[in-house]
Amino acid sequence: MNQIKLLTLIIFTLLLTPCIAEEKKSSTDPTIWEKTEKGVTFSLKQLYPDQVKAFYIGRGFTKDQIKSYAETCVYTAVLRNDKASGRIHFLRKNWTVKNKDKEQNIQENSEWLNLFKKKKVSPPALIAFRLSQLPEEQEYDPNGDWNQGMLSINTPIGTTFDITIDWDIKGNPYELKLKEVRCAKQATD
Amino acid sequence: MLNKQQIKLYLGSIVLLFAIFTFHVEASDQPPLTHSLTTIAPPIVAASLRLENMDEELIDIKSLKGKTIVINFWATWCPPCRREMTSLEKLHLETKDNNVVVLAVNIGEDIETVFSFINSIEPSPTFPILFDKDSLAMEQWKVIGLPTTYIVNPKGKIVYKAIGGREFDHPDILKRVSHLNGLNKDENKK
Repeated sequence: MNQIKLLTLIIFTLLLTPCIAEEKKSSTDPTIWEKTEKGVTFSLKQLYPDQVKAFYIGRGFTKDQIKSYAETCVYTAVLRNDKASGRIHFLRKNWTVKNKDKEQNIQENSEWLNLFKKKKVSPPALIAFRLSQLPEEQEYDPNGDWNQGMLSINTPIGTTFDITIDWDIKGNPYELKLKEVRCAKQATD
Repeated sequence: MLNKQQIKLYLGSIVLLFAIFTFHVEASDQPPLTHSLTTIAPPIVAASLRLENMDEELIDIKSLKGKTIVINFWATWCPPCRREMTSLEKLHLETKDNNVVVLAVNIGEDIETVFSFINSIEPSPTFPILFDKDSLAMEQWKVIGLPTTYIVNPKGKIVYKAIGGREFDHPDILKRVSHLNGLNKDENKK
């Protein structure tokens, strides 16, 4: 019986961790914030610290190596060019997060990667981390180009924030704001 | 104590349950995949690509000149990559006898991880899966996010690109891919 329990635990740990980062798309789901502006759709869904840790432990991190990232309010972000008037281009470093009166930019991947290198994270795990983040710069053509990736907001757990993202089409600027996005401690909050 | 037969039966049941669960979650809770392809005009010469497959044999796209090549960059942990994999297999089955080669380039993972994944989906991929363990090929091909797919014409030039998951077995994509195989030779000469 113990053998069955052990096998079950190992198999489900191995098989279920890839699912952790998946988006749950529902217009009635209160944990998804989504908005469409000028044919571009942006959504956020929170990933709780244990989910983030489980995902990255499955990719080769240790619990200690990923702890600081997992506790920064991490979301699955989806950005799509559904039907904008042309190819959109964005730089993630221009996006802003406003929490009460404090405004900040999204932390760059290179800062995280430098921290992880100091913690001796393995090269395959570093590749997985870099690619699992929402790209820092990207272009999407209309009618379906999109990416899904993690986004660390770096705001205190239990607070709400506004996030403003921007992009351009041939140099013309556009922006979209998601208001009062909540960073909960756990799914039941 | 479990004997080998019991363990095999047990493991098989778990994998089957997981496959059903994954299919249900991914089919019902995700945004729909589109079937658009961005035309690259004018077409650009494809970078080199020389990587090992699951059998640790080197595959070089140089040897595939004269064929249409669909090159998909992916990873098992990437949800849209997993969703589109079965449609890539259907594209492969529909076009393999028509001078089209589908290649999936896995980024940064090992053979065991990929093997477990491809055996958990139906239809399981039968096209070659290549391994870009240090992500250098991905950088050469200027891939920023996963999945990204390029379609290379028989002249070795990239003619279409898709960023994000797609429904590769959609009739529109099947038609555009098949169209590159000599049905319009003038277009391929560009």
